[in-house]
Amino acid sequence: MKRLAGLIIVLLIVLTVSCYVSRMVPPQKNLHPLGEFYLQNSYFGRYSAKSPEAVTSIVWDYRGVDTLFETAVFFLAIIGSLTLFRLNKGQAEEAKRGEPKLELPGPVATVTKVTVAMILAVSASIALHGQLTPGGGFQGGSALAVAPLLIIAVYTKYALEKNGLDKTRAIIIRSIGLLGIALTALVPLLLGGYIMQNQPIFPAKALGVPLGGSLVFYNFFEYLAVGAGFTAVFLLLSIPEEKFRKFLGVRR
Amino acid sequence: MIAVHLAILSITALIGLVFSYLAITERDLLKAVAYSAVQAIAYAIIFYLLMAPDIVLAYVAIAVGIYSALLIFVIGKTGRYEVV
Repeated sequence: MKRLAGLIIVLLIVLTVSCYVSRMVPPQKNLHPLGEFYLQNSYFGRYSAKSPEAVTSIVWDYRGVDTLFETAVFFLAIIGSLTLFRLNKGQAEEAKRGEPKLELPGPVATVTKVTVAMILAVSASIALHGQLTPGGGFQGGSALAVAPLLIIAVYTKYALEKNGLDKTRAIIIRSIGLLGIALTALVPLLLGGYIMQNQPIFPAKALGVPLGGSLVFYNFFEYLAVGAGFTAVFLLLSIPEEKFRKFLGVRR
Repeated sequence: MIAVHLAILSITALIGLVFSYLAITERDLLKAVAYSAVQAIAYAIIFYLLMAPDIVLAYVAIAVGIYSALLIFVIGKTGRYEVV
């Protein structure tokens, strides 16, 4: 009852404030000059990124260094959580010991299999089509990370590890992704350009499909890095609490 | 046509507000995670109506999938009920 009263008060306050504020703000009639620049230039103009997707060209070309730093922040966050959960060799072996078992009814397992396959396909298309349609490396990678999450929820984490995707491999895939991003950023330096330059160093088209120059490479490597980074953290988080208590020597 | 969009926008914003209020005041943390996932779905619809499909793709996966799962892991490692 008290919650309901609080909810009504919050709703009333928000509605009053938004009604009051919306009268003061004039409606937007025109594009901002900056937005206009990006819309005109991302594919056709003189400063073209050769990508019909204005957002991806902003993310990885015009404001590419921002995204590079954002990737670095994400990298540090993953490194931080991996450090918190570090185990020695014996403990890592013991954390892996266990049998995959299905705790949920059969139909759930079948639906999960179909869904995981669909998630893999959709995430790959989000990431690899990022220079043509809405989407990109981070979006695709975070969609990809849902697939191992579903497997962990339904079949436990041992099923993932038995099939070859353990923490070490996830970290290796993630490192390949980060290395790829760094190399793609550095390649223009070798060819006499500046760091993270896109056009005209990278090819604009392949087999008639616009690639957006370096955008497709950045998207692909970011896809690997984000997907595998999340997977590594989930594999660590899904180690049962009893095992952690044992590793840490906590008695309760 | 824009009136329909604005109507859907305000309704989903209200749904988001109600569910975030429920998530904050709920003592059972698993239920709170479910409420916040509903709020995330409402916000994803808002982002879509505001023509930000790039945000929608990242937001749905993170706010509904990864964020909820992360919190459920944490609840599994601690306690299910909030004790004041």
